[in-house]
Amino acid sequence: MTTLAETPPAAELPLRKPLLRRKLVPYWLLLPGIIWLLIFFALPMVYQASTSVQTGSLEKGFQVTWHFQTYWDAFKEYYPQFIRSLLYAGTATVLCLILGYPLAYLIAFKAGRWRNVVLILVIAPFFTSFLIRTLAWKTILADGGPVVHVLNTLHVLDVTSWLGWTEGSRVLATPMAVVCGLTYNFLPFMILPLYTSLERIDGRLHEAAGDLYATPATTFRKVTFPLSMPGVVSGTLLTFIPASGDYVNAELLGSTDQKMVGNVIQSQFLRVLDYPTAAALSFILMAIVLVMVTVYIRRAGTEDLV
Amino acid sequence: MTDTSGGDVRLTGISKTYGSFTAVHPLELTVPQGSFFALLGASGCGKTTTLRMIAGLEDPTTGTVFLGDKDVTDLPPYKRPVNTVFQSYALFPHLNVTENIAFGLRRRGIKSVKKQVDDMLELVQLGDFAHRKPHQLSGGQQQRVAVARALINHPQVLLLDEPLGALDLKLRRQMQLELKRIQTEVGITFIHVTHDQEEAMTMADTVAVMNGGRVEQLGAPADLYENPNTTFVANFLGTSNLIEAEVLEAGSDITVTASGAKLHLPAGRCSTSTPTRSGGKLLVGVRPEKISLAHADDAAKIPEGRNRITGRIADSSFIGVSTQYVIDSPVCPELEVYAQNIERDARLVPGAEVVLHWNPEHTFGLDAAQSMLAGTVGSAGTEEAA
Repeated sequence: MTTLAETPPAAELPLRKPLLRRKLVPYWLLLPGIIWLLIFFALPMVYQASTSVQTGSLEKGFQVTWHFQTYWDAFKEYYPQFIRSLLYAGTATVLCLILGYPLAYLIAFKAGRWRNVVLILVIAPFFTSFLIRTLAWKTILADGGPVVHVLNTLHVLDVTSWLGWTEGSRVLATPMAVVCGLTYNFLPFMILPLYTSLERIDGRLHEAAGDLYATPATTFRKVTFPLSMPGVVSGTLLTFIPASGDYVNAELLGSTDQKMVGNVIQSQFLRVLDYPTAAALSFILMAIVLVMVTVYIRRAGTEDLV
Repeated sequence: MTDTSGGDVRLTGISKTYGSFTAVHPLELTVPQGSFFALLGASGCGKTTTLRMIAGLEDPTTGTVFLGDKDVTDLPPYKRPVNTVFQSYALFPHLNVTENIAFGLRRRGIKSVKKQVDDMLELVQLGDFAHRKPHQLSGGQQQRVAVARALINHPQVLLLDEPLGALDLKLRRQMQLELKRIQTEVGITFIHVTHDQEEAMTMADTVAVMNGGRVEQLGAPADLYENPNTTFVANFLGTSNLIEAEVLEAGSDITVTASGAKLHLPAGRCSTSTPTRSGGKLLVGVRPEKISLAHADDAAKIPEGRNRITGRIADSSFIGVSTQYVIDSPVCPELEVYAQNIERDARLVPGAEVVLHWNPEHTFGLDAAQSMLAGTVGSAGTEEAA
């Protein structure tokens, strides 16, 4: 006969302790990343922070004098570039969203077996260097080039010039050129997170919405778009943050009137050699972006970024 | 939206082809208003495609869908007065229970939804969960939200696409009764797609058994069970013992012979295509629970006038309310017998010689020109495409 042996009371059973080695695994996994960030992010930050409150000159050397006035002076002098940076980055982000959303939607829901091909096409520009791609835009937008010629013939440039985006029959060395460059360069950073969050939406939710009297437009407004918010938030952040600190596009496609804060920092560091001002500008930019991003995430109300 | 007159669902010549594959063959089907109708079949039999064509989620290749007198074939889903409870529910993850349920009302421009939503929450007994998000609910609760979300619109027809498939057995039984209660309470036509024959029989007034894109038989559950027209229905709906036999004497009471055993069956219980003239081949069917078992020693005690077959018990399994026997007989290799565990004969163990006997009235006849295995588990018949 099969019988059930009586189990001793729970209190007498020795409790098995989890192995210490197993408990340490998460920390071991974190270690390489932590070391990397410490050396290449945390230490330089501290160094820059100290630089920003130093005074002195290249000849006599710089001393930490807690001279916070540098921040105010730098901001006072370069606030137009700050505003311009945020404006250009913001415009480029909006353009990326307008261009990227339909494409991401297409890849996620309509591309079928072409999905991977289109995705590779989205990433394809990364096979060429950022610099070369931006230089190519210089050729594309060159004075008297085909693009400018077409825009001129269609009188598009009259409108954009009236708006202050271009000047006369030039596109190069205007705000439009810089914004176009930024948009082009950061578009994949918008499309990929958008695609990821759209692709995760269960197609049956669209059917369910349609079944519950929602027209295709309402389905998009009430179901698809809200569910793609994580992608919209991370896409706009991945576009806006690097774009606001970018200097390559303004350098290659703009003139002195299109200088962004990145260009100022670059020239302060490498040409003027005023390290405290350059460091202070970097910190101001970081603070502005941090505040804006925090407010934005709060308003967007997203709990999880893709 | 409920229309009290002429709200039948009528499908005329409806079919669906994907490339060279025909999912649904031209189909004529009428679902009377207010009925609980089940489309029953194995996966791939076309039942879900049929349902989706009624919902407007699939365009029929041919044919017309009528709701009442209205041709809705070309209407997009959002313009049809039907609502669907989807398999896996498809609740909106970003909306709470209340907003999920109110979704349809809001789309139709109804602003004050609170009263209706509260009533609906009460109907499905989810009053305390109004502000939860779908992922904070159990499977059964999600299922009820899905039902409430569809029902609140008072659709002309409620379509249910295997809505209980994801639930465990106990919960499924409970939800079956609950759905039946709701249907009786609201009086809306329910069309329920399922592969679970017991579910279909428990809930529906009328069951359509589908196989290979065609409706094999349509009728009340008891009718289908007692008088299957095809071997597929006989095997898919419950279990049937099918015995190949030859007609000896025709008439209102048919006498057949199967490997020497003489069996009787009423002509009225033969499907229309069954040859009932003498010399014709047919399949004699009898349900396992209709058969009684007697030990061979007690053969003399069996009353006259019953069909009887001798055999040997090959296997028996005790399942609580009943014991299921597999009997090896010269007439048929594997006869199944379900005996209620009322008085158990200790001699009925594997190896024992037995006599199977049953009332001839409980015998049905089928056309022998079809596969005996159609509709059994793993048979090709259930996945038949052409």
